Amino acid sequence: MTGLTLAVPSKGRLEELTRDWFARRGLLISRPGGARSYLGVMEGEPDVTVRFFPASEIARELIRGNIDLGVTGRDLIHETSESGPQAVHFSAALDFGHADVVIAVPEAWIDVTHMHDLADVASDFRTRHGRWLRIATKYVTITRQFFARAGIAEYRIVESLGATEAAPASGVADIVVDITSTGSTLVANGLRVLEDGVMLKSEANLIASRTAEWPADKKAQLDKLLNRLGAAGF
Amino acid sequence: MTNPAYRRTQLEALVEAQGGCRATPPLLLKADPYFDLAGEEFGRRLLLTTDATGVEYCLRPDFTLPIVADYIAEATRQPAAFTYMGPIFRQREAGPAEFDQAGIELLAQPDGDVALDQVLTFARAALSLYGIVPRIRLGGVGLFEALLIQADMPDAWRPRIRQRFGHTEALDRLLNRLEAAPDLPRTEQPARDALVEDITARMVASGLSLSEGRTPAEIADRYLEQQALDAAHIPAKTLKLLREYLAISGDVLSALRRIEELASEHRLMLGAPIRAIRRHLDRLGEARVDFDASFSPRLDYYTGIVFEMTGRNGAILVSGGQYDRLLERLGAKAPIAASGCALWVDRLEAEITS
Repeated sequence: MTGLTLAVPSKGRLEELTRDWFARRGLLISRPGGARSYLGVMEGEPDVTVRFFPASEIARELIRGNIDLGVTGRDLIHETSESGPQAVHFSAALDFGHADVVIAVPEAWIDVTHMHDLADVASDFRTRHGRWLRIATKYVTITRQFFARAGIAEYRIVESLGATEAAPASGVADIVVDITSTGSTLVANGLRVLEDGVMLKSEANLIASRTAEWPADKKAQLDKLLNRLGAAGF
Repeated sequence: MTNPAYRRTQLEALVEAQGGCRATPPLLLKADPYFDLAGEEFGRRLLLTTDATGVEYCLRPDFTLPIVADYIAEATRQPAAFTYMGPIFRQREAGPAEFDQAGIELLAQPDGDVALDQVLTFARAALSLYGIVPRIRLGGVGLFEALLIQADMPDAWRPRIRQRFGHTEALDRLLNRLEAAPDLPRTEQPARDALVEDITARMVASGLSLSEGRTPAEIADRYLEQQALDAAHIPAKTLKLLREYLAISGDVLSALRRIEELASEHRLMLGAPIRAIRRHLDRLGEARVDFDASFSPRLDYYTGIVFEMTGRNGAILVSGGQYDRLLERLGAKAPIAASGCALWVDRLEAEITS
């Protein structure tokens, strides 16, 4: 019996807010080896192993079942795998790390205000310009799912790992799917979010893996911990 | 018909017996043509890899595209028949997977009806090797296009409706919107020149190229068109026709009779596409045949008639049809008739074992 593995973000504001959130519920997470160590301790809970991981790895490992419990953004669970949301249980929303994954078009596209306008534009883009409508994003999975539901098939994704909002101006793509908390970066780059263009509302969540092994004693331990945190079990 | 190996040999013999050229495209293919043809929705099913220069390749996800691309490259434009059987690769929810596919492609045949008959006969013969009497679902792309071109509505709406055909929810949303269209008081249309100027200024301000993507004139025109469309309603009677037509689904003979009634009620000439469907029914033997008016693959190169054959648990065993616009989409200079189908060999075998 090895106990529960809890993964928390390894750096920055997200790490701080996560540790605050646990601390407010009476569970202190410390990092005995200092900021360079990836192993942590939860005081008074020797059976909980705390690991510090980058947020995107936490999402991946939760989906694979290599860790039992973790804190990461909802967007990363949806993006990592199409079946990601089914592989985990969202136990608690932590009320920080708020951001929306949105679709934004150049502000000059005054004829495009809704997804159905985009469907029209996409459908004859190829005939007009000899290429598909290009969308810059790092959210490939989320974009494909959202567009499939909207009935838009005529587009290409240009994977963008940074400064996505600059893609239309640099000619890399026509429109973008990006994450935003206030929208100001998009506006500053001459982009406008479609009225029905919010694909996903995300925030940091405490997430349990459904695909991890859950023998009865470990499950009981999880339920006890979640209960203490005021979070829901599954 | 005793064991899997024997059935496979039989199927192999049937594929050979079609008299076509046996095509064996490479397992590793450039990914770009697939994205170009079928977009991201199909692209997400590809198993991708990248070479040292960054060019993306995929494991062969189907046979049709490489076969047709080779045919176009040879530029003979002569009637040709190809058959194939071998592995294809598609991503699935639960990880990558390899499947066996067999099929036939008939290109530039002088008579599209005869070609489709050969495709249907081949599919039925393959299924009967496995002792399967399938359910057959027919869709009429040509029929819907004929209806759409004749239905009473402003022209600008026709491509918008056509584009959503085959995606039930998207089409439903569009019809809902059209049905709910309020009688907005017409605001005055801005002048086109002023609009173009305004859009140009906005594009320049945010550093957008005026020629690489959508141009100011294109945006202005669509903006004006959109405003005009909001005012140019589709008559309620036409919307009702579309709703009633798209809801038709069931036994093929009664479905076609119902369509004939609708056609005469709305004075539409749908005789030719309906006769085309009826002519093929003989080839389908004792199988149960349904016609589903809203059924169409989501790719706009399909034309005429499309079909699916399903097994006991609804698994799709064969799909195919006519796709006369495919070759042009892949670079042919003029339209070239095409029809064919693909069989999922593993699923045929699974029908027997289940």
